[in-house]
Amino acid sequence: MDFLIDGLLSALLLIWSLDPGLIEIVWVSLKVSSTSTLIASLVGVPAGFLIAFGEFSGKRFVITLLNTLLALPTVAVGLLVYTFICRRGIFGGFDLLYTQKAIIIGQVILIIPIVATFTISAVSRLDDRYRKTALTVGANAIQTAWVIVREVRFGIAAAIIAAFGRVIAEVGISMMLGGNAKGFTRTMTTAMALEYDKGLFELSVALGIALLAVSFAVNVFFHYFQGRVRE
Amino acid sequence: MVYELRNITKTFEQRTVLNLERLSVKKGKILGLLGPNGAGKTTLLEIMAFLSSPTSGGMWFNQQKVDFTGGKLKDLRRRVVLVQQDSILFSTSVSNNVDFPLRIRKAPKAKREQIVGELLDMVGMRDFGHAPAHKLSSGETQRVAIARALACFPEVILLDEPTANVDVENQIAIERIIREINRTKGISVVFTTHNMIQASRLADETVFLYEGKVARSIYENIFSGRIQTDESGRQLCVAQNGLRLHVQHDKSGPVRISIDPAIVEISRNGNEFSEDNTFKGRLIQLTDEQGRVRALVDVGVPLSVLIPKEVFRSLGLGIGDDVWLNCPAKSIEIF
Repeated sequence: MDFLIDGLLSALLLIWSLDPGLIEIVWVSLKVSSTSTLIASLVGVPAGFLIAFGEFSGKRFVITLLNTLLALPTVAVGLLVYTFICRRGIFGGFDLLYTQKAIIIGQVILIIPIVATFTISAVSRLDDRYRKTALTVGANAIQTAWVIVREVRFGIAAAIIAAFGRVIAEVGISMMLGGNAKGFTRTMTTAMALEYDKGLFELSVALGIALLAVSFAVNVFFHYFQGRVRE
Repeated sequence: MVYELRNITKTFEQRTVLNLERLSVKKGKILGLLGPNGAGKTTLLEIMAFLSSPTSGGMWFNQQKVDFTGGKLKDLRRRVVLVQQDSILFSTSVSNNVDFPLRIRKAPKAKREQIVGELLDMVGMRDFGHAPAHKLSSGETQRVAIARALACFPEVILLDEPTANVDVENQIAIERIIREINRTKGISVVFTTHNMIQASRLADETVFLYEGKVARSIYENIFSGRIQTDESGRQLCVAQNGLRLHVQHDKSGPVRISIDPAIVEISRNGNEFSEDNTFKGRLIQLTDEQGRVRALVDVGVPLSVLIPKEVFRSLGLGIGDDVWLNCPAKSIEIF
């Protein structure tokens, strides 16, 4: 028990003192995860819309495939991207391996199905009268889509938050494609794994607390925003 | 004519829900589409609003044939607006909802504010301008939806059961608005209802739809039931609501029946009628209707009866009076 309390106290001290090593790791994590979430949202939300509203053969298959990809293991994505960006891979010449860009590519692939699936679900649940109302008062396709986005904004925000939560907490892709290089590709999760291997629990616990704090802050912001809008 | 529809059909998964040989709407007039649930009223309005295409047939809007496959539907939609049954307002303020059609038409801001104010005044919702739209009652929602529709400055306004699920106060307000927009703005109006009295109050012309077709007469007092044989071997139609009517028909099993209110006889004394299809009831509503009086009589279910004014005067009927109704065989139609 003392061991746990000592670890926790040391971790809190590290956070309180704004330890530069800790800050750097948190910053890399936030930067990489935010970028991948942004890119995945820009792709996944419109894709979700197109799939939800589009009538095409194979629609059910696409939705089933996306649902299956929700359970995609991070190491599988890491391995897949690795085969493309390693020196012998098709994109080997771009020198992407062990860079933040490589992590972002892997994370984008990981969370596009999450954003798209949640968007499909939110849009499909929306009463069709919103679409018809927008059309009958004279909206064009883009204005109608905007009306729908506004109505399902909480569903889409939930999709983006879920995606962000998935990437900020993942370790497989960051480790395999980022290489855990200190000050460069070391994220909170890869640092925690390393510190655990070294038997140094203080930083590991401090990073765990930081990870939870980030997740908590994002959710608090979302609920505050949701509450303000619904008032 | 603002609309001409010829041989319009609409089929969903091999089920034809609309099959109209001909229907036209006169410019500047109010057309009432009467019919029970499932008659195809909403489907028809969606086609007229260019939101849905017919499976076959042709529609002309202001003498121009509508091309449902082309990309000009948006332009047509900007000339016609549909107010749906149980209208939906966007999750924003009441003013923003009314402002939406003006904003997408890129009207100047000052002009928009003025129009929104005027329209909210017209529907009696000015004080609710800043209120969140989702906090309104269904009647208020419907009034704001009409204001939003008027912000489109349409040539035609289509209203799908505009007073369904609203209280009497809002019903009166909505009917007043419909008359006003037709008379003062010259907007052609097409509305659906299954309320015969409302249709006769509002419409210049009424069309009755039944099972997707224009019916040759206006069916009223429609009930679902089953034809069976009674103990004396005569055919008896037992309606789901408990009404039991002797009928003469080839059909058996589940049917729908309609009782023509103009043929139903009314008296203060049951002895005047034979026992067959005679019911005692209480008069619950009286409405003046183009030379006749429409009486609603509760015989366990509400039955509508049209009484010539002289008969009404001679009987001296009043609300709450006990009366007898007789439904002769010729008043009952089975389909």
